[in-house]
Amino acid sequence: MNCQHATLLIGADPYVSSPELTEHLQSCTACAEFHREMLALEANIRRALEVAPPAASTTKAKVADIRDAQRAAAGTRKRLRPVAWRGWAVAASVVAVVLASLWLVRPSETLARDLVAHVEGEPGSWGGTRAVDLGALQALLHQAGIADSNLTSQEVTYAQTCLFRGHFVPHMVVHTAGGPITVIVLPDEHVKGRETFSEGRYAGVIVPAQQGSLAVLSRGSASMDAANIVAQQTWFTVGRPAQP
Amino acid sequence: MTEIRHDMRNSGPEKPVSSDTPAATAAEGITRVLEALRPDLVRFAHWLARDRGIAEDIVQETMLRAWRSRESLKDTASARAWLLTIVRREHARLYERKRLELVHLDDEIEHHALATGDDSDLHTLRTAILKLPMEYREPLIMQVLGGFSTEEIARELSLSPTAVLTRLFRARNKLRAIYGLTPASEVATAGEAP
Repeated sequence: MNCQHATLLIGADPYVSSPELTEHLQSCTACAEFHREMLALEANIRRALEVAPPAASTTKAKVADIRDAQRAAAGTRKRLRPVAWRGWAVAASVVAVVLASLWLVRPSETLARDLVAHVEGEPGSWGGTRAVDLGALQALLHQAGIADSNLTSQEVTYAQTCLFRGHFVPHMVVHTAGGPITVIVLPDEHVKGRETFSEGRYAGVIVPAQQGSLAVLSRGSASMDAANIVAQQTWFTVGRPAQP
Repeated sequence: MTEIRHDMRNSGPEKPVSSDTPAATAAEGITRVLEALRPDLVRFAHWLARDRGIAEDIVQETMLRAWRSRESLKDTASARAWLLTIVRREHARLYERKRLELVHLDDEIEHHALATGDDSDLHTLRTAILKLPMEYREPLIMQVLGGFSTEEIARELSLSPTAVLTRLFRARNKLRAIYGLTPASEVATAGEAP
């Protein structure tokens, strides 16, 4: 065994042991010293990792932070540190309020953009041909807080729980005569009325629901009529499912 | 653990069983295992995801999946490795889908998540581990917290054992600087680009 090999083995696992390594360490002071250093470091690494994670704090706020950071990722990759100067802080607050107001004025546009970005990130979702297991679909919906929905009576070829705008939401693809149609249930996104959108090769509609909204998207040659039909026919209720 | 039981009840078309049937015994067994191992799973997920909330979501999904496929667990002695593998895969699914790694949470890490004690060296080391790139952090967490062997990590990450050794070496090499130690010289190995 040479020094390079010994260093690799020790660096990869300081507790590693083999007759060859032991023999090498007995004859090489440099590697023996490296081994001692790595054992000391390893003890601290294990101490560091053994520490229990911080107490649960604001899960949703944290996820929202991630969402916001993702949105900002195209621009600055690092968030600004708080500014000490109070005047700047006040000014920043005013700007933030103005921006937030502008943001609220056109929520559905950004929602549509986020939806398209999301489905673009899952290109494989459109290609399913086999219906997903009904039990799995029901469990997925329940897990996302959907108590009941007629999606379970449709031919769903893809179903996943996805992190979208800080919430885990059901993302499904329904097989229709007009082609595959994506349905995303959005209990936490509210729209005032029916909104259609078109971006790139995607077109879709967001419709208000009893609680939240429902997004339906078609892609490429898939018929927007089919998407509209799915949007009209699909319903869901939010809450804990009935006890069995 | 009320919430877990609730989800378990709704995870499939379970038939009511009396407490002395084999199915009921198996169900009680996996429930006990899940409850006992939950802190370990959350800690493992937390170090992978770098966020407690996301870690809890991952563990919740892990428990659902474990409950659904509880029949495949023949030996509860192997439950920990089995569950940690599910956690890792759940995290990988989330990571691949949302590219969480692109998010820069350095400020949060420094100012919130790691305010856990007086030991500044340990604090610095924890920060450094969390800042390791995913390709180095994941195998390190799997090895140290999960107890996985190099071969097991290689299988799980679809890497060669040599590539895993290299990543583990590099992970620790990056952490050496925290203690003012000189990084060891890079070793040329097959299966892992420098």
